[in-house]
Parts: sequence; structure tokens; C-alpha cells
Amino acid sequence: MGLEKQHELRIAQLNFIGKVLSVFTHELNNHLAIIKESAGLLEDIMKFQKAQDKESLAESLKTIYAVEAQVSKSAWLIKNLNSFGHRMDKPVTSFSINECIEELLILLNRLLNQRRVTAEKRFQENLPLMDGDPAMAQLLIFCLINECLGKIGEEGRIILETGYIKGLIRIIIKPEGSLKAGPVDLFCQEAPPEHIALLLGGSITRDNGGVSVLLPLMQDMG
Amino acid sequence: MKKKKDIKVLLVDDEVEFVDTLAQRLKMRDLLVDVVYNGEQALSFIRKTSPDVIVLDLKMPGLHGIEVLKEIKKSASEIQVIILTGHGTDKDEDEARRLGGFDFLRKPADIDLLVAKIKEAFAEKVERAMTAIAFAEEGALDTARKIIKKEE
Repeated sequence: MGLEKQHELRIAQLNFIGKVLSVFTHELNNHLAIIKESAGLLEDIMKFQKAQDKESLAESLKTIYAVEAQVSKSAWLIKNLNSFGHRMDKPVTSFSINECIEELLILLNRLLNQRRVTAEKRFQENLPLMDGDPAMAQLLIFCLINECLGKIGEEGRIILETGYIKGLIRIIIKPEGSLKAGPVDLFCQEAPPEHIALLLGGSITRDNGGVSVLLPLMQDMG
Repeated sequence: MKKKKDIKVLLVDDEVEFVDTLAQRLKMRDLLVDVVYNGEQALSFIRKTSPDVIVLDLKMPGLHGIEVLKEIKKSASEIQVIILTGHGTDKDEDEARRLGGFDFLRKPADIDLLVAKIKEAFAEKVERAMTAIAFAEEGALDTARKIIKKEE
């Protein structure tokens, strides 16, 4: 299969994943909304009818509040997953790089927690929007975070910094903590970060274990 | 000013379990609540009676919530519309506000927040109506009409 065909297939695959995620999160969010309203109704009945003794009422309410809190948290996660799915709707759209990174960090939270790694955001506010493929930008950031995770030992942190320099978006991603020496496995051998950055019309520079990415505001679609 | 019991709310959502439960909770909070399950039913409902506030879902079979909002604002602009959706994008929110939607909430929304928004929407409707009446009494009918239609 030629490179062009593979590329097309990859795009189709991304579209497929995005679609499934969007549909799934849509459905799941409805279920969560029903659970929340049902728990809320139970809470209302207890409050308004006052049918129970004070102690058991307090206990029941506490349980219901916990259900509601958990549902709200789940809904927030699902919202981010839904938004992640929609990033793949179109290959070219306007997007905020800060929002893309933020969303990815929320979705990868468990992965970072499992490695006892924290992410520290140093985002420049009011960055101009980029025009291009947000899903590809997220793939690039993910690959670089993955590299950092490979370099960090048991505990540590990943610094994610964004800025705007001379018409370009700059993203710096660097690991901190007790860093491991030696080569790091790439997330995808066929698509190293340099290659993805090139697809986005940008470039990557590496130094001191960190990576600096420069991306144009408008991705060249030619 | 009407009492809370007199605020007429119409809920429009195709998720039957969700909207029926929400209706019960709003009724417990002394609101007068009706429920319909799609956009066509909502438009038919407002031809017969005029709710103060409509809580409207976006993604429904048949008419999309944005289309329903457009129709409501065309035929009964005094009705306040709050969008309550599980999947609205920022673009949907901008569009809804541009078309005159009072507020845009995402499911699952907090019941107290929803009730507060309904009360705010109702208060704004009453205030607008009173201002319009004052202008109308002074003969400024065009200004009164614009206030009701939220054109100024």
C-alpha cells in the first residue's frame, strides 16, 4: 500500500474513532443526566416529605450527594472526551492550542497518576487561534508527553509551556525529576514527532531532555 | 410580580425519562410545568398557550432545537428560552444567544441553577413587558414593540 493510501486510511481511522467517541459520549451523557435527576428526585422526596428520622435522613442525603457528585465528575470527563472526539470532525478548523493541551491532560490524568507524574501548565493567556488539524496537534503533544513519561523515573513532573513568538506558536514540553538515561521508545515508530510536526508545518528542537515545538498559526494544506 | 407558582414553564426534550423526572422536581419547587417531547409539539403547544419560559433541548428527532428557537422568537418573542443540552458546542451556544436565547446550560445541570435561571428569565420578561407598557401608554408603540421583541 502506497504512502498516500496509508495516509488516507489513517485519516479515515481517525474519523471513525472520533465518530464512535462522539456517539458514545452523547449516549452516556444522557444516562448520566437521568441518574442525576433520579438521585435528585429522591433527595427532593426526602427533603419535602420528611418521612424519615433525622439520622437516617442525613445518611441517605449524604449517599445521594455522593452519587450526584460522582455523576457530575463523570459528566465533566465525558464532556472532555466528547470534545476530543469532535477534534477529528474536520481536518482543518480553528482551535486553541491551550484548550487542546488542557483537554488531553484531563483525558490522560489517570495515565499520569499511575506513574506519579504531575503536569504543570505554564500557558500564555490569549494566544491566537490556530487554523489546522487539532487532532494532529493533540497526537503530537501526546507523543511528546509519552516521551517525557519514558524519561521520568518513579516520580516527577512534566512542564507544558505555551507562547507566541514571531507569528509562531511555541510549545515547550520537558520532564523534571530523576530522569532515566538512554534512548526512549517512540509512541509510533512510523510517525515520530518530527514527522507529525512537519505535517503541521512546524518544527521540533530538542535540548536538555526537553522539546521545543514551533507551529505556524495557519497550517499549509497544500 | 407573579409568585413562583405562577411561572409557566414548558420543558421540551425527547429523553422521556429525563424530562419527566425533571418536571416532577420543578413542580416540587412550585413551578407550573408542562412537558412535550419534540420541537413540533413545542410549536403546536405555544400556538394554544403561552408559557413564560421554555427549557429547550437541542438534539431532538425532527426539528433541531435551534430551529425551534428561531420559530419561537419569530412568533412569540416574549417567551424566554433556556437551552438545556447534553451536547451543545460553543458554536451552538453562540448561535442560541444570537437568536435571543436567554441562557445556555449543559446537562446534567444543577436543579437549583436551573430554577434560578428560570426565575431570572421570568423576571427579565416581566421587566421588559412593564417597560414596553410604559412606552405604549406614552404612545411610543414602535419602541414598545421593539422592547418586547428585544430589538433594543
